[in-house]
This record gives sequence, structure tokens and C-alpha cells, in this order.
Amino acid sequence: MPQGMAGPGAERTGRDDRLVERTLQVGLAIGLGLMLAGLLVDAGSGALDARPVRLGALGASMPLGTRLAALGVLALGLTPASRVVLLVMLWGRERDWRFVAVAGVVLAVLAAALFAGVG
Amino acid sequence: MLGIGVGAGFLGALVGIGGGVLVVPSLVLAFGVPMRVAIATSLVAVVATSTAAGSVYVGSGTANMRLGMTLEIATTLGGISGGILAARVPTGWLSGAFGALLALTAVLLVSRREPEPAPPGGEGARGRRGWESPGRLAGGYVSARGQVVPYVAARTPLGMLVSFAAGIASGLLGVGGGFLKVPAMALGMRVPFKVAAATSNFMIGVTAISSLFIYFARGDVVPALAAPVAIGIGGGALAGTAASHRIHPVVLRWVLGAVLAFVAVEMVLRAAGVTLG
Repeated sequence: MPQGMAGPGAERTGRDDRLVERTLQVGLAIGLGLMLAGLLVDAGSGALDARPVRLGALGASMPLGTRLAALGVLALGLTPASRVVLLVMLWGRERDWRFVAVAGVVLAVLAAALFAGVG
Repeated sequence: MLGIGVGAGFLGALVGIGGGVLVVPSLVLAFGVPMRVAIATSLVAVVATSTAAGSVYVGSGTANMRLGMTLEIATTLGGISGGILAARVPTGWLSGAFGALLALTAVLLVSRREPEPAPPGGEGARGRRGWESPGRLAGGYVSARGQVVPYVAARTPLGMLVSFAAGIASGLLGVGGGFLKVPAMALGMRVPFKVAAATSNFMIGVTAISSLFIYFARGDVVPALAAPVAIGIGGGALAGTAASHRIHPVVLRWVLGAVLAFVAVEMVLRAAGVTLG
């Protein structure tokens, strides 16, 4: 491997790495924050609602705490997917089309799983 | 539930195994949670821990995102297959398969000889960081001595095949599947162990959500269970990482290995319709 790649290559991917790192951290904070809020609301109401929630029924009537915790699970689940979207954009900017296509395939598989779940 | 998460995260971080292996039997055996709900709960926890760990490994430049994304094509397809399969196989089979996985984990735990992966985060001794090469599965990582060592991944089809199996295991049993992906990359694709471990952590979140969406759609996710376990496992992993230098890892591995072997027997007996105690 040419050592020259380690210079500008490292600098460029270093910036991109940190963007991916921040995206994952923000998504994790939102997901866990919603879950914690849901638990606190449940605890405040004095009744732990241990019912299962279906992905396609998130809009249905349910206690606020359960809804918040379920939205937290969804936000957490969408976090790794969001870094796939981000990498499509970052690699597209680099004109690294081979890996834009690879990430596009992963995104398509995840979208199929998500829409199969919602529908 | 919070305690299960904390315990799984703490012990998992101490001995280097994923929390899912500990979460599922704890929920099933100690709380009588149905197997598929326990697996879905574990997947939520696995996404939380791998997102936290993966972000650190990406930030340090150790994970190779192009390598991870390539193998994710196989792990996501495997994850969906495992998630669909889990609804079609009898619960007893799932318990038996999980028991076998626990037994394998116990053996791997006590027989591990390879060097421990360096703790995530932190750049090289001289402020250097890893990098990856655009357009190909190659890069460089910072060795323990602070030198940037280049590498090129080989035998991608083999890595894809094992990654597909890891995806099925993840979707079927609610685990991360790192026990398959790390050796596939390190031994099969000749990627440095440190990069393989970091890249596996980076990949696990995407692998797990491909089957989590299937479980979520089926109504196997109970937010009131998943939330405390996911929150607890994150706190436990942080505490375990902080305590890791004060606890002798070999002794802990043997103790945890013995516990896992016992739980493995109980899961297999449960699959056969026999319950202890």
C-alpha cells in the first residue's frame, strides 16, 4: 500500500469518520432518551404497560409512555440505517461509485425489511 | 429488567462477548419471557451497544466502513432470513439452538488465546489514526506501537458466505454474530484482528435492525421490556469497560464460561421439555 495514501486519505476519511460517529451518537441519544421518557411516564402513571407494539400500529391508541418507548425503539433502529444513507452521500461526494452501489444495495435490503414491517 | 441489561453489558464488556448471549437466557429462564419476545428485546439491546461501540471505533479510524458495508449485504439478507425463520420454527428448536450457541460461546471464552482487541477510542501513540482506501477493501490501522500498518482484505466471497450465516444467527437468536464475523475477517479475509473486531462492531447495528424490523412488525417487541434492558446494557458496558483493568480476565472467563455451560444445558433441556428446579 503506498504510504502516500495515508496522508490526504487519512485526513479526508477522518472528517467523514467523525460525521458518522456523531450521527450514530445523536441517534443513540434520541432513541435511548425516548425510551427513558417512556419509562418515566409509565412510572409516573403508576402502571407499567407491558404490551407488545407492532411496527405498523404505532399510530394506534396506546398509553403515552408505551408510545414514547416504542418510538425510541424505532429511532434506535433507524440510527444504523441513517449512517448507511450518510455513507451513500459521503462516498458519492468522493465519486467512489463502487461503494455507493454497495451501500445502495444495503439500503434497499433495509428498506424492504422496514416496509415489509409497516405494510 | 434494568439489572439484566446492566449485568449483561458489564460482563460482556469485561470478557469481550456480546450482551445478547446473556440477555436472552436471563429473560427466558429468570422471568419466563417468551423466547421470541426475549430475542426481539435482545436485538434492541444489541443495536444500542453496537451503535455506541461502533461510533467509537469509527471515530478512532479502526473500523473499515467499506469492508463492513460490503459484508452487510450478506448479513442483512441473513438477518431477514433469520427473522422470518424464527416465526416458523418451533420455540423448542430456538431454545435448543440457543443452548448450542451458549455452549460454543463458553468453549470460545475459555480457550481464547488471541490478543485482546485494544480498547476502542484513542488514536495511535503518536496521534496517528487508521484510514481506509477509496475504491477497494484496504486500509491501514494503528498498531500497539503506534505505527500505521497497511492491509488488504482477501477472499471476499468467503467473508460474504460466513457473514450470511452470522446474519441468520443474529436474526434467529437475537445475538450480534461477532463470534462468526471476527474470525471470518481475521482468519478468512486476512484482515488484522483489531480491524476485524472494530468492523464487526460497526456492522452489528445494521445486521440487527434487518431482523428487528421483522420482529417489530410481528408484534414481538415489548417496549416496556426493551427500554430498561437497552438503557441498562449501555450503562453496564461503560462500567465493565472502566472496571476491566481491575479484574483478572482469565479467572472471569472461566467463571462465566462455567455459568454459560450450565445455562446452555438448561436451555437444551428446556427444548426437550425438561425443566430444572
